[in-house]
Amino acid sequence: MESILSVRNLSTWFFLEEGVLKAVNDVSFELAPNEVLGIVGETGSGKSITVRSVMRLIHNPGKIVSGEMIYRGRGREEDIAKMSDDELTHIRGKEISMIFQDPLTSLNPLYTIGDQLIETIMQHQDVDRAGAWRLAVEALDKVQIPEPEKRMNSYPFEFSGGMKQRVVIAIALSCNPKILIADEPTTALDVTIQAQVLDLMKQLQTEMKTGTLFITHDLGVISAMADRVMVMYGGRQMELASAEDVFHKPTHPYTHMLLRSIPRVDIKQESLESIPGQPPRMIDVPDVCPFAPRCPRRLDKCSKELPKLDEFEPNHYVRCFNPVEPGGDLYA
Amino acid sequence: MPNNEVAEKVQNNVASKDEVVAKVVNLKKYFPIYKGFLVKKHVGDVKAIDDISFEVRRGETFAIVGESGCGKTTTARTMLRLTDPTDGKIEILGTDISKLSREELLPFRRKMQIVFQNPIGSLNPRMTVGQILTEPMLFHKIVSSQQEANEKAVELLRMVGLKPFHMDRYPHQFSGGQKQRIAIARALSVNPEIIYLDEPTSALDVSVQAQIVNLLLDFQKNMGLTYIFISHNLALVRFISNNVAVMYLGRIVEMGDVNEVFDNPIHPYTKALLSASPIPDPAIEKKRKRIILSGNVPSPIVRPSGCFFNPRCPFRMEQCDKEYPQTKSISENHQVACYLVDKREV
Repeated sequence: MESILSVRNLSTWFFLEEGVLKAVNDVSFELAPNEVLGIVGETGSGKSITVRSVMRLIHNPGKIVSGEMIYRGRGREEDIAKMSDDELTHIRGKEISMIFQDPLTSLNPLYTIGDQLIETIMQHQDVDRAGAWRLAVEALDKVQIPEPEKRMNSYPFEFSGGMKQRVVIAIALSCNPKILIADEPTTALDVTIQAQVLDLMKQLQTEMKTGTLFITHDLGVISAMADRVMVMYGGRQMELASAEDVFHKPTHPYTHMLLRSIPRVDIKQESLESIPGQPPRMIDVPDVCPFAPRCPRRLDKCSKELPKLDEFEPNHYVRCFNPVEPGGDLYA
Repeated sequence: MPNNEVAEKVQNNVASKDEVVAKVVNLKKYFPIYKGFLVKKHVGDVKAIDDISFEVRRGETFAIVGESGCGKTTTARTMLRLTDPTDGKIEILGTDISKLSREELLPFRRKMQIVFQNPIGSLNPRMTVGQILTEPMLFHKIVSSQQEANEKAVELLRMVGLKPFHMDRYPHQFSGGQKQRIAIARALSVNPEIIYLDEPTSALDVSVQAQIVNLLLDFQKNMGLTYIFISHNLALVRFISNNVAVMYLGRIVEMGDVNEVFDNPIHPYTKALLSASPIPDPAIEKKRKRIILSGNVPSPIVRPSGCFFNPRCPFRMEQCDKEYPQTKSISENHQVACYLVDKREV
């Protein structure tokens, strides 16, 4: 199936006084309709900036320095990178919506949630206020908020964290977007509430066939949600493959070590392997493998040149000179 | 004099495995709610901790888990006497400290240290790392001179994986993981016996989390420390702890050996928590049947009648909203407060 979004060679840099911070470097991926692409990585790996670039939410001193983002949701190829502000207002919220980490700050405390839903709906759909009201109630009903008519007149502070995130999801999905971007949507929630919200998101995603970019640092959450997984480190893609391959046949040493460093609730582990060293600094870095200083499989050329993102196996991409064979030993 | 008692215990260094170093008996902590401006009227209480009891043995890690607002942090703060308990006993190294005065508490303050969740908030930004590490040693007179303190501080930095030249730096010059290492070094500086770890890794990235957890486990093994570990991350709790208490709305609903509780949970809340914790394996995760709890945690001011969990419980029975179930032992080291225990026996 043709993908709904193709991102090619995206680079977003921040021009700071101290130098150039290369937050996202040469990132390429395809998003199929009805697919969940999970993006994992640690703080500063560039995962949020990648999806913000897709929404064109990058402000000074940041700049999308190269790349194209082809959106195919409206029957033709359109490059989001080249759109004017006017065209973007028709894309944001209507074609591509976004859910942020903190529901507290993504809702306006001075307006009722009904107003906030209606605003989005009237902006993008050809309905009057009464029609928008009906659609808003439907949207709240869809995210399983009890007594949606009554809750339309409530203010955000009257909702708990999980309920607020449901409202944010309702707003994001109110115009049936083709792409949903979720940036750590459950990180601020308790585990039992997180389970509720993830369950709801998965159900709505299957029902509405929305292509989804799902960002998280939690490898447990990603295995529940994602069809394919992209692992980022130091502003670059390290590995991109189906969720099963990334978790069962990790090929990049970083993915390997990351998976061994997380505790599991279902089995008693004897030890946790930690990744030595610190996450990389990002300012004025040379074009070499960003993981090289922490990597046990480092070769001489790793700190001299940058490996390409190669197709190691069909649909399994890895950026590494010395990848781990499937089932192989990391330290071999 | 509690002072001498402690000194004696340290000298003898009774490292018996079964020695109870911390014991909490029927501990309660209520935060009163007042209404009115000139005449304040007591209108209710937030029952943050309501009648909990447990024992912590030397050298073990005792975990307290639960969601926000269940009282896990308040338990630690009350045991440290950072807030005063409403009722109940807190026995630390054999002495009830629940009613001791400020001065009498001093030796216990040295024996109990805490590492907080957020290392940015717990290190004074105006002090250098050297000052942060030497102040507690000088205050508790563990060292006799500034120079000795400095030497010990350098040693502590080395132990937590930092370098001597870091002594003169300020907290903002460090990454999150390094800051947490400094907080751990500070806790160790006064040779404590019990360390409270209040979500010590939840602000850190996963790769750094493993570093900190391994560091903590090394110290425990080498120095015989006792940890009271507070977390909402059940996977981490399973890895790090020996015993676990699951709290819900101020009460312990299930407690015991961590493997037994996690492999064979009885209380529906424990079951729900475990089933809500995602497993990093898509093959397992996508097939898993979750217990999805409906609704939110009720307010700790007006709690449901009977068992506090009954409005959300998928296994609710008739007696559940009448009376709070008693805590029963189902094996030597596994206690549950739930009516399902009786059903199990039948």
